[in-house]
Amino acid sequence: MFDLKGYGWMLWDGVQLTLAVAVCAMVVALFLGLIGAWGKLSSVPVARLAAETYTTVIRGVPELILILIVYYGVPTLIQDVAETMGADIFVDFNSFIAGFLTIGFVYGAFATEVFRGAYQAVPRGQIEAAYAIGMSRMLMARRILLPQMWRFALPGLGNVWMVLIKATALISVIQLPELMRNADIAARAVRQPFTFFFAASLIYLAITIVSMTVQHRAEAWANRGVRRS
Amino acid sequence: MAEAATRPLTAEPALKSALVCEDVHKSFGALEVLKGVSLTAQVGDVIAMLGSSGSGKSTFLRCINLLEIPDSGRISVGGELIRMTKTKAGRTIPADPNQVDRIRARLGMVFQQFNLWSHMTVLQNVIEAPIHVLKVPKAEALERAKAVLNKVGLDDKLDYYPSHLSGGQQQRAAIARALAMEPDVLLFDEPTSALDPELVGEVMRVIRQLAEEGRTMIVVTHEMGFAREVSSHVVFLHLGRVEEEGPPQEVFGTQKSERFRQFLASNL
Ligand SMILES: Nc1ncnc2c1ncn2[C@@H]1O[C@H](COP(=O)(O)OP(=O)(O)OP(=O)(O)O)[C@@H](O)[C@H]1O
Ligand SMILES: [Mg+2]
Repeated sequence: MFDLKGYGWMLWDGVQLTLAVAVCAMVVALFLGLIGAWGKLSSVPVARLAAETYTTVIRGVPELILILIVYYGVPTLIQDVAETMGADIFVDFNSFIAGFLTIGFVYGAFATEVFRGAYQAVPRGQIEAAYAIGMSRMLMARRILLPQMWRFALPGLGNVWMVLIKATALISVIQLPELMRNADIAARAVRQPFTFFFAASLIYLAITIVSMTVQHRAEAWANRGVRRS
Repeated sequence: MAEAATRPLTAEPALKSALVCEDVHKSFGALEVLKGVSLTAQVGDVIAMLGSSGSGKSTFLRCINLLEIPDSGRISVGGELIRMTKTKAGRTIPADPNQVDRIRARLGMVFQQFNLWSHMTVLQNVIEAPIHVLKVPKAEALERAKAVLNKVGLDDKLDYYPSHLSGGQQQRAAIARALAMEPDVLLFDEPTSALDPELVGEVMRVIRQLAEEGRTMIVVTHEMGFAREVSSHVVFLHLGRVEEEGPPQEVFGTQKSERFRQFLASNL
């Protein structure tokens, strides 16, 4: 086993923060994904345009730049705007919040595509049957559409989650002491970069393996009643 | 008007109409699919709706429960007129979505493709709408469900998912789902057309039984035997118009319209 020279607790703290950021980001991504998919499928042109712009921008701009823009750029922008209006304020973002919002915003675009595909995979006839029997739109969405969308969305969302976990390492650039940042600090302090970065990779890998297991279980549950051919 | 004025206010209408459609029009773009279709079903009527492919049978059934919104015309269910209004752009839409949901709950629809909800078992499919739409207590919904599933001969399949059933069983489950709502009118859209020939009989038997119980129903079908023997009324639709209608003996006997004769010749 590695000798972590007493810095093991730092990695452990980092893991907890990484998971916290990832879970918060995933919640944001799911929320934005549902809204984005709703926009893309909407009959309202403005909603479609907004959703299309969102996913295109995310596809085109590196996550790292977005993180830096949100954390460093937006506060200065707000300060500059405030200054032109005569106010002298100091704006500072919490790196945890800036981090998970940005990552969530980015992966919300991927979740948008996943949800859109899942919506289109639900047979139209089953939605019509729901309306025909007297269900309101809300009830249809809650009882018929969403439960089936999960089934089609789970594989894609599982991928989004696993890529998202790894992307949280980028938040280290804004000094959030998550796993990557703490591994870096420890590696520098002890001058053993291989040990600490290797340990960190093993931890990321372990999180992914656990996630995959959970995903398989969830898919099996969501696919109950579906005949496999 | 004068007649209505002399009638005592408390009097029941002379005939209790379960469903009245008057002059229903529907176009898809430039294609006028329904060119003014009228139809009245009294309580207990079994109306067989015939017509070649593309004549507008499905569209008409879907207009009745507003899965398609008719461009014009009047539809009333159990004496309640479905109120329509116009958007600024001139499109016709239902005036009150709650009324639409309420009317739909009183019309049972059975689709050609069954359309059971695939994430629910047969039993869950059948109790879903009674519980969530009609707000029937769960215990009562379960009791109802077991009764209707027994009627369609699926007592032993309660916990099966639709994908594990044959087409005939799925369609009988779909009929049970409609029956559990205790609808005033049942609408069938070619309920046996998607079935293998050997499975048609089990579904038609159930539909016949429902007809014999005195349920009000409109059945779009290519089963001439059903139209001749079971229906109380036959409507033949051609290019979006009612080309021929009447009691089956009469319609099949005289065959006034050339089109109907051709249709019968090609459908045995
Ligand atoms: N949503 C729609 N958009 C455009 N055209 C439609 C739509 N629904 C139906 N049509 C057209 O309307 C016509 C009548 O269709 P409908 O399904 O009512 O016929 P049908 O009598 O039920 O035929 P079948 O026996 O094949 O089921 C067809 O030409 C069809 O292509
Ligand atoms: Mg049809």
